[in-house]
Amino acid sequence: MKVTFRGGVHPKGHKELSRDAALREFLPTGEMVFPLSQHIGKPAKPVVKKGDPVLVGQRIAEADGFVSAHIVSSCSGTVKAVEKRLTLTGAALDCIVIDNDGQFTPSGEFGEKRDVSGVTGDEIVNCVKDAGIVGLGGAGFPTHVKLRPKDPAAIRYLILNGAECEPYLSCNDQLMREKADAIIEGLELMLRLFPNAEGVVGIERNKPEAIEAMKKAAAGKEKIRILPLKTKYPQGGERSLIQAVAGMDFPITSLPADVGCLVENVGTVYAIERAVVFGEPLYSHVFTLSGEAVKNPGNYVVRDGTCFTELLEHAGGLKDGVTLKKALAGGPMMGIAMSSLDVPIQKQNNGLTLLASDPNEEAEARMTPCLHCGRCTTVCPMGLMPQMMADAVRDGNLERYEKKLYGLECIQCGSCTYICPAKRPLMQTFKQTKAEITAKKRAAAEGGKK
Amino acid sequence: MNSVLNLSSSPHARDSWTTRSVMLRVLLALAPASVLGVINYGLYALLILLLGVASAVATELIFDKIAHKPNTWTDGSAAVTGLLLALSLSPSVPVYIPVFGSVFAILVVKCCFGGLGKNFINPALAGRCFLLISFGRVMSTFKVDAVASATPIAEMMNGGEVNITEMFLGSSNAVIGSSILALLVGGLALWAFDIIHGQICFSVIGGFVLMMALFGGQGFDLKYLLAHLCGGGVIMGAFFMATDYVTSPVSRLGQTIYGILIGVLGGLFRLYGGTADAFSYSIIIGNLFTPLIDTYFVQKPYAYRARAVRLRSGDRRSFWQRIPKPVYVLTAITLIAGVALSGVFSMTKHTIEEQKRLKNAQSYSVVCPDAEEFEPDDEADDIIENLAGSWWGEDYGKSVIKEAMIAKGDDGKIVGYVVRVSTSDAYDGSLTLVVGTDPNGKVLGISFTELHETPGMGMRCGEAEFMDQFAGKEVDSFVLNKSAMSSGAANEIDTVSGASTSSGAVVKAVNAGLDFVRNVMMGGRES
Repeated sequence: MKVTFRGGVHPKGHKELSRDAALREFLPTGEMVFPLSQHIGKPAKPVVKKGDPVLVGQRIAEADGFVSAHIVSSCSGTVKAVEKRLTLTGAALDCIVIDNDGQFTPSGEFGEKRDVSGVTGDEIVNCVKDAGIVGLGGAGFPTHVKLRPKDPAAIRYLILNGAECEPYLSCNDQLMREKADAIIEGLELMLRLFPNAEGVVGIERNKPEAIEAMKKAAAGKEKIRILPLKTKYPQGGERSLIQAVAGMDFPITSLPADVGCLVENVGTVYAIERAVVFGEPLYSHVFTLSGEAVKNPGNYVVRDGTCFTELLEHAGGLKDGVTLKKALAGGPMMGIAMSSLDVPIQKQNNGLTLLASDPNEEAEARMTPCLHCGRCTTVCPMGLMPQMMADAVRDGNLERYEKKLYGLECIQCGSCTYICPAKRPLMQTFKQTKAEITAKKRAAAEGGKK
Repeated sequence: MNSVLNLSSSPHARDSWTTRSVMLRVLLALAPASVLGVINYGLYALLILLLGVASAVATELIFDKIAHKPNTWTDGSAAVTGLLLALSLSPSVPVYIPVFGSVFAILVVKCCFGGLGKNFINPALAGRCFLLISFGRVMSTFKVDAVASATPIAEMMNGGEVNITEMFLGSSNAVIGSSILALLVGGLALWAFDIIHGQICFSVIGGFVLMMALFGGQGFDLKYLLAHLCGGGVIMGAFFMATDYVTSPVSRLGQTIYGILIGVLGGLFRLYGGTADAFSYSIIIGNLFTPLIDTYFVQKPYAYRARAVRLRSGDRRSFWQRIPKPVYVLTAITLIAGVALSGVFSMTKHTIEEQKRLKNAQSYSVVCPDAEEFEPDDEADDIIENLAGSWWGEDYGKSVIKEAMIAKGDDGKIVGYVVRVSTSDAYDGSLTLVVGTDPNGKVLGISFTELHETPGMGMRCGEAEFMDQFAGKEVDSFVLNKSAMSSGAANEIDTVSGASTSSGAVVKAVNAGLDFVRNVMMGGRES
């Protein structure tokens, strides 16, 4: 029996476009833009001002509060401005803009391999915090916060997410193939923080080379296990992984740590290894450029702050004769549609998918009334009933939506919308309803205070 | 890069399945049944199927046009309704039947309630019930090669024997889509490809089998249960009608409850109701319960289920573990009840047969009142045994000689003969009667041991006014007079008005009995 979670869908992977392309480092020449908010939590506070010279690896913004992260320059040059710039979500955010001198002069504080045999847990967390590491799987949660759960001894599984279930993306596949030893070393370092934890690396079976490489690297390590997983979306979701590895389900109001689990993306663990062993802050990460509209899909190591357009042009631009219809930061299942490619790549961005057609637009054209076929219920990884939830929203019965149907438990993976033969915008409805209910609750709480 | 980019919420990918592709697969699953139907019943059956589909699609198209609604006929759901309806019709219905049925199903049940996804009962079944009520007579006439006969299910309901192999292939006198084999192939394929929910079809069958085993009086007799499963649209209902998405519940538990409800109701109607269409009605009642079930049976997310934390891992459970618990419970109950009932049945079997013999003996006395005792006749028994249930001669329809006895007076002299004849030519399946004659073949009287005709019509064959016409006549054979005028001939029997089929069946059965008396009973002794 293949290890996996319940439900899920099988979107077309399109991995063949880029899966075998080796990682290549891309050094941009244009101006670099660093949004102050590239993580969950408070935006960082700038520590440089216009005209300041900066070097690679130099901290340019500092974490503001506990749940926040430092931001590090990925190029050398001069600070051009601290101003509002367009970011990939379409919002204009405060950004530090640096005039790149193209030299990439390092600040000189990192790069030497250090002896880590005696490094303590606290030192590891400090290294992670100093490096400005956030979850590279997409959410961008500050990693040093995650590494400090209430009771580290209660963590039983430290799960490395190498599932990469999102279609098109293959950079983590390549990272595991090329840097397996470093990832395993990073995992070993992290295990020092959690005395009772077993390290489990979950990788979907459609990446046999990565599984092989990771197994080789983990050979002989007692507390580490490589776990091949069924290829199914959203296998790489935090909850799906925990369900597959530990067999646990937990409410949306609980954290993985509450059930003794901790999930980190393999890219994050690689960054932790770089930070602890080499003292290198997080200024670059792996990135997949793919999609039908791209001339040369591939996997890159990109510098934070690089403009999407520059990377695309460097890679050869669009395929000839193809009109770009949709640009996604990330893959098609959870990626964000961008209005412009002239925005900076952020820490947690792991891919750019360019599509020549828009499945959403086509779906809208083919929408029919709900058949009650129940496919959405079958695929929901959380065990919800999307069709009934949509009916409750239609009827304006938010009470039923929340209390009877547990509508707030939706993780917005989009499986229901994907599978719906009537092409109904299910997940989109839930996203909106969830926001509405949360806003109402907040308003009620504030009203209560007054 | 100057192109305008589309913005929308994720996901930016869609499965290739559409409403239409689902419907096309259902149509494909119905193809084996349709093809076998046409092979068995000929091109006229094909015409009926085509008319059903075409008028369903046309109705939707015209309604959309008139109501200024987006065209929905292309989604294939109307075609599925039309085909299902046509498949559940007798191959001998007039051409207007599938048309009326489809128009009612689509226009009234589907379109008037808001179109696809909004109908509250299965449109095909609603259309069928509409036809049953409006055109009862044509709907329940099953003619093959211009010979009207009872459907297997009608025969079964009257305690007759059926040929299960024939029902599997669909060559018996039933609806066009009656081949169990073809329906199972299509239905199981739909289940295997996750188009229909196994919870529904299997709990319908489970509930029905449970009912029949508990109250059918035959216990767990496999042949009996199989015969009932194969007849009367159980398989068609379980796999194609009850599983209709729109009118069935969504949660697994709800689906199981809904399925069992339909199965149990179907069994109940089959056992205690008068109609052979038990399943059409039970599914419609199930449909009506769907909104209620959907309101109350909602599944909780995994994290809130009792077993959430205990499970090591979701799909690491074995196949057996993944079967919902109610299935095990129901199977256990069914098995226990079945075993218990078969025990009771085999214990009481003897008594039941004794009862039957007594009942027969009573009717023998009625038709031959002078007799003290009835003795079996070896020669007659041999002949009856050799016939093995086949018909007695060409001229007597589907009359089967069941038993023949010699009636003797107190001094041991032969005072007459009695013959028990059963015929399946009756309007509602079969009837059984006893003919008594004196030693010369003069009819002393007739009596029914089994008569299930329409009350007020066929049932009046059991009244003295009709039965007494036979008594005291010594003729070669009787002739049914359907006109109001009587010619006065001795061998003429006036029909019960409005029930010429029943009356005709009775006359044929009596003639068969007389023929048997003359050629076997009397012939063996006096010449």
